[in-house]
Amino acid sequence: MLRYAYFPGCASESTAKSTTLANEFVFGAVGIDLVEIEDWCCCGATSAHTLSETVGLALPARALSRAERDHPDLDVVTGCASCYARLKLANYKVRTDKDAAWLVEKALGRPYTAKNEVLNFLDILSLDEVKASIETAILRKFKDLKVACYYGCLNIRPAEVTGAKDRENPMAMDEIAVLTGAVPVDWGFKTECCGAAHQNDAARQTRPLTARILENAMAAGADVILTACPMCQLNLEMRQTEYARKREEKKTGKKVFPLLDMVIKPEPQETIPVLSLTELLAIAMGAGGRRLSLDVHHVPVGGVIAQGLSGMNEKEVREAFI
Amino acid sequence: MNENHTLEHLMKKADVRSYDCYQCGKCSGGCPMAEGMDLGPRGIMRSAQIGALDSILNSSTIWLCSGCYACVDRCPHDVNVPAFIEEARYEAMRRGIVRRDSEVLNRTFLANIRAFGRSHEMLLAAFYNIFALKPTQDLTSLPHMISKKLIPIKPDPIRGVGDVQAIIARAERLDKLVKEVRE
Repeated sequence: MLRYAYFPGCASESTAKSTTLANEFVFGAVGIDLVEIEDWCCCGATSAHTLSETVGLALPARALSRAERDHPDLDVVTGCASCYARLKLANYKVRTDKDAAWLVEKALGRPYTAKNEVLNFLDILSLDEVKASIETAILRKFKDLKVACYYGCLNIRPAEVTGAKDRENPMAMDEIAVLTGAVPVDWGFKTECCGAAHQNDAARQTRPLTARILENAMAAGADVILTACPMCQLNLEMRQTEYARKREEKKTGKKVFPLLDMVIKPEPQETIPVLSLTELLAIAMGAGGRRLSLDVHHVPVGGVIAQGLSGMNEKEVREAFI
Repeated sequence: MNENHTLEHLMKKADVRSYDCYQCGKCSGGCPMAEGMDLGPRGIMRSAQIGALDSILNSSTIWLCSGCYACVDRCPHDVNVPAFIEEARYEAMRRGIVRRDSEVLNRTFLANIRAFGRSHEMLLAAFYNIFALKPTQDLTSLPHMISKKLIPIKPDPIRGVGDVQAIIARAERLDKLVKEVRE
């Protein structure tokens, strides 16, 4: 049985509710044991390393050193691209840069040798034996569900840290999605940055990044976008009303009061549902919408799933999707 | 240290040589943030080539870089622009040059970690909106977040929150020490 030390990340406790439930479901179903790192802390994300290099390395190193102490034989895995980037960088720096290793150890006040690997969910789900278990665990397959696999920048780059082979057109996620019967579309924004890091402090400059990704996925004919990171997930779905309104404003030339986004919802064809890869897998493995709390999505996902699983009867659809 | 020495030092630390860049523009062409930036990655490298440290430190570019590494990935000479931008940002902060919105967000974020050991998204957004004077930003998502119980109302500190605070304090002291040794 595969075992990993697990770093859930702060989003797992709040906005990534359904993704976290799906992660548990999927990893349980394929028989992978995730051992949560005891009393883990925030990795510092974008802000810590923006303010200070050493804080930016020491925070992820705290979680990693605890994993090393409690589970010396286990590699660390996380489901968030932002956490992954910080954990992986701390691991890489301690291995390759003596000065950084010294600073990290002094800041932590305990040793961290970085002997174990840092992985993301895609690394694990792509293993041949895991793919075989996924195939066995899948109970129902999607039909004609077109998915745009969005990897996010930090699962892939910087390449010398992540070791990613193909940075422009990775296929790991597409190959996993195919197992559920979904049809991945060919599109251009697989590893384009969604700007999640600056959506608060530079909203005006980053909103177009997300809008472009959504528009490209829709233009490629995708029914749903698949993500591998709760930050990308939230960022791609929570402001779709705003983007639809802005597109409408551009077309008609009439301005709408922004706070009306709360009540005026766009036409369904103006938005695109966003699911995490593990949610798609969990649904294919038989998990229902209630079990996964799929109603937490900002853009409703029930319709597209029901359409993808067209073999279901009305009661099953109701049970399965919220 | 004079300006040229500082610039050399920043580049050395980032392992970047300005003469490696031949201004082809693939970086700015692929930079997702380029249209919102003043210099953009190519402009940063051009400024480094002509020794215009001042224009680098006062640019919006160093604060808007999202660190997605698309530029260095596509650079024919592997010039690590994000690493250089990060060093430039540290130098700007040492001189007291900050972009207000970034400063508010980053300080709020770190205060969150100091208080709870983890990031509490609602408090982060709320305090950011208050201090950055943007009360309505993302407000329209709030009813959904609350009704679906996506954000815990009451923040729960982790057990090792004291440990986290001590690590941050030690790391900040080390940063200062490193700076003094260099000077």
